[in-house]
Amino acid sequence: MLCDACQSALEARLDGELAADEAREIDRHLATCPACARQFATLGETRRLVSENAMRYTAPDVLKARIRGAVARAATPPVAADTRRKTFRWWREVAAGVAIAIASSAVTFVAARHSEATYAAADELLASHIRSLMPGHLTDVPSTEQHTVKPWFNGRVDLSPAVPNLDKAGFPLVGGRADYIRGRVVPVVVYARRRHMINVYAWPSSSPGGAPPNDLSRNGYHFVMWRSGGIEYWAVSDLNAAELHAFVAMFVAAH
Amino acid sequence: MSEGHLQRFERVVLPHLDDAYTLARYLLRDEHDAQDVVQEASLRALRYFDSYSGGDARAWLLAIVRNCSLTWRKRQWTDDRTVPFEDDMAIPANDDDAPDAAAVQASEQARVQQAIASLPDEFREVIVLREVQDLSYREIGDIVGVPIGTVMSRLARARKRLAVLLQIDAREAS
Repeated sequence: MLCDACQSALEARLDGELAADEAREIDRHLATCPACARQFATLGETRRLVSENAMRYTAPDVLKARIRGAVARAATPPVAADTRRKTFRWWREVAAGVAIAIASSAVTFVAARHSEATYAAADELLASHIRSLMPGHLTDVPSTEQHTVKPWFNGRVDLSPAVPNLDKAGFPLVGGRADYIRGRVVPVVVYARRRHMINVYAWPSSSPGGAPPNDLSRNGYHFVMWRSGGIEYWAVSDLNAAELHAFVAMFVAAH
Repeated sequence: MSEGHLQRFERVVLPHLDDAYTLARYLLRDEHDAQDVVQEASLRALRYFDSYSGGDARAWLLAIVRNCSLTWRKRQWTDDRTVPFEDDMAIPANDDDAPDAAAVQASEQARVQQAIASLPDEFREVIVLREVQDLSYREIGDIVGVPIGTVMSRLARARKRLAVLLQIDAREAS
C-alpha cells in the first residue's frame, strides 16, 4: 500500500469507520512503516486529548424549565396572538410617554439596596416562577378577562391585586393563581409577552424585611418591584429588562 | 395537538437538551446565545416532530440546533455590521469560565477548549460532532449536509490544526 493512500485511511481507522479487512490491512502497514505509525500516533494522541478534555456542558435547570414551559404552551393554542401583533408598534410609543409620566407620579420606586431578605425573596420568587412554567402550573384560573381573574382572588387571598387590562399594550392577560411564598398565600397575576410569561406577585407592603431593590436580575430572569396602593408588587420574567420595565410602567399607569 | 404527541416529544427529544446545549455552546461560543438557540431549536423540533421518522432523536435534534445556530450567527453578523467595531473587540470564548485564570490556563482542559474555539466554524463543528458528541461520519454528514468524503477531509484538517495548536508532535519528539 502507498503511504499517500494511507493518509485518509488512518483517520477512518482511528474513528472505527473501516471494515474489518480494511482495518487489518492498515494495521499490517502500520507495523512496517514508521512514518505512518508516527502519524497515526499523533492522530491518536490528538483525538485522546480532545475527547477527554473537551467540555460537555449541562443545560442550566432554568433553561430546561423554560423549554418545558414553552413546549407545553406551544402545544396548546396561543393567547390572543392577533391582538399582540396588531398593537406592537402602537404600544412602544405609548410606553415612552408613560415612562415619563411615571417618573413624576406619586408611585414610589424603592431605592436599590440589596439586603439578605431581598435575595431570599428573589430566590423564592424565582423558584415559584420556574415552577409556574412547568406544564399545568401557570394558572388556577386561565382567563384573558380581567373581570374573571380579579374576583377569583376573593376569599382565596387576603388582598385584592390590580389586574389591569394590557391587551392593547401587547401584554395579554393569561390568568391568575394563588401561590405560597414568603410564608403566606399570595395572588399571582400572569401576563404574556410573545413566548415570555410575566408573573406579578402581590403582598401587603407592610411586609417585614429590608427595603428591596426596584430592580434585580438572577439566572437570566429579571425582577422589578414597586409599591402602589398599600401593596408591594413584584414582576418576574425572562423577558428582557427594558420590556419588563415598560410592562411595569403600563401596569402602574393602567390601574 | 394531542396530549400523547406532546408527551412523546418530551420523552424522546427533551432528554437530549444537554447535548443540544453543548453543541450550541461550541458553535456560538456564547452562553446566552446558546440558551436562546436551544430554546428556539426545541420549539422548532416540536413543530416538525411529525417529520421525525423515529431514527436517532439525538442526531435529529442536533441537526436542528446546528441549523438554528447558523441562522443565529448570520443574524448576529448582520447586526454587527450596523454597529461596527464594538462587538468585534469582544473576546470570543470562555470569559465565563475564567475566574481562576492562572489555574485554569494551566490545565489541559483550558488548552483544549481554546484550541477548539480557535478553529474555523466548519472545522469546529465536525470536531465537536465527532469527539464530543461521538457521532459517525454518516451522521455528521447528514447533520452538516455534506458528503462523507467532505466530513473526512474536514476532520483531517481540523485534527492537523489541533495537533499543531496542542503541540502534540513536539511533545512526542521530546
